[in-house]
Amino acid sequence: MTLRDYLRDKIAVYAIRLVALMIVVLFLYVFKTDFQAIGTIVFIAVAVEIVVTVYDFIKRKGFYDSFENSLQGLDKKYLVTEMVKTPEFLDGKIFYDSLFECNKSMAEQVAEYRRQNREFREYIEIWVHEVKIPIATMRLMCRNNPDSDERMVSQLKRVDDDIENVLFYARSEDAGKDFIIKEIPLKKVFSNVALKNKDALLEQNVSLETENLNACVMTDGKWLEYILGQLMSNSMKYAANDRALSIRVSAEVEGKKTILHFEDNGKGIAAEDIPYIFEKSFTGTNGHEESKATGMGLYIVKNMCNCLGIKIDCESRRDEYTRFNLTFL
Amino acid sequence: MEKILIIEDDKSLAKELSLFLSNSGYGVKCIKEFNDVVGQMLADDSDLILLDIGLPGENGEVILREFRKKKETPVIMLTSRTGEVDEVLSMSYGADDYVTKPCNPTILLLHISAVLKRSSKTSQTRMYKDIQVSSVSGSLVKGDKEQVLTKNEMLIFQMLLDHEGEIVSRDDLMTVLWNNDEFVNDNALSVNISRLRNKLAELGLEDSIETRKKQGYVLK
Repeated sequence: MTLRDYLRDKIAVYAIRLVALMIVVLFLYVFKTDFQAIGTIVFIAVAVEIVVTVYDFIKRKGFYDSFENSLQGLDKKYLVTEMVKTPEFLDGKIFYDSLFECNKSMAEQVAEYRRQNREFREYIEIWVHEVKIPIATMRLMCRNNPDSDERMVSQLKRVDDDIENVLFYARSEDAGKDFIIKEIPLKKVFSNVALKNKDALLEQNVSLETENLNACVMTDGKWLEYILGQLMSNSMKYAANDRALSIRVSAEVEGKKTILHFEDNGKGIAAEDIPYIFEKSFTGTNGHEESKATGMGLYIVKNMCNCLGIKIDCESRRDEYTRFNLTFL
Repeated sequence: MEKILIIEDDKSLAKELSLFLSNSGYGVKCIKEFNDVVGQMLADDSDLILLDIGLPGENGEVILREFRKKKETPVIMLTSRTGEVDEVLSMSYGADDYVTKPCNPTILLLHISAVLKRSSKTSQTRMYKDIQVSSVSGSLVKGDKEQVLTKNEMLIFQMLLDHEGEIVSRDDLMTVLWNNDEFVNDNALSVNISRLRNKLAELGLEDSIETRKKQGYVLK
């Protein structure tokens, strides 16, 4: 708040007062008052006005400047009422109290939505576990029935995968409670992923190569399995048409860091798409060619990596390779 | 015949599971009442228990902890919950293994037989006709003749031997190999089987592995 802005705001008030003063002076002149007396009256009136203005300006400036400074420095702007003192003047108080009320009501609203969101998430979690029971039953039925069809099993696998996507999406959006960090052997995680996708991998005649997976990392095994499963399903989705897909997984240990490389020889990702692949709903050039792309897979992966403290990045060359690097600290 | 006790509250799943396990050569019993599960478990004489986590009333993990205080029968936890938390909890309460639903039925069988093998502590050497099969040294010995098998060949031979006289599908063999980190493809499996046949023939057992078209293989 500058003095200039303050005075400009008050210009109408000063104009009215000036007019009033001029009328008073005119009256005094008409009644033939002494010029010295008129001069004294004008002096006193102007002096009082200046003193009042400066006092009022300083009072307001003190409050509004600290208010603006606090607001600027805050990451969560709505906490500003906690940062400034209650002002001494009436309109400031009204403003401050209203702001407080607004914040309170907003906080209640947010809490309500947060609660709804959490309940919805919990319901999703329960629903996923419920729906897996009939899937498990059908899987066994396929096995028990000698005339059953392999295609049924692969469709069930698809349903199961899609359900898993929902589960992990819900989990990754509200993380913090659902994972356990412990020492996990990379080999075990990868072989679980491979085993889970065995049929699809064999069907596409994918060759799997692993190297140096004896390292262990500190992370949640189930989450890492899901992340690698997503990368693997992307590799299979975006395989090149003219050559058999080969996936190579290797790890290297550098001091405290372990880097897991997940590489395929598929279609690759266009250079201009790479910065955006982890963004929600981004499908890119490959996605447009493939109707199945939702743009969610890598977004969920990135979210989960953030929760687990894994750094993930991607290198690729069109029609040659795609390589994801996961750095565990 | 080894006996398995199934504790699963979903009736259809319990039915399919018991059908599947009895087809695979196990004696199967299911719990029908879920009031005093621990008591029923203690009263039972099965060799292995499949325990669901999400039971009505008491949670499977709590049941397991109570049961473990009194008995050492191997328990495999069966659950639809995919989470490290449940797995860690179950294992710390004394579960021998943990399998998530839905899983590949062959893998469930592999887990079951692995747990049973661990608990029965049978010797590592078995006999097939007059051949000694040693999985530790990975060799077949007949009199003074010895054939050393590769890891893949041994895995295939053991799977066939476990189901001697029954048809084992290529998919089952594949699952066994992949379960042991051998990510072989279709061709490699055929190559491995023909090598295994040759090695058996060297020991005088020609045509012991028979191909059943579109079904799999039988060890006679």
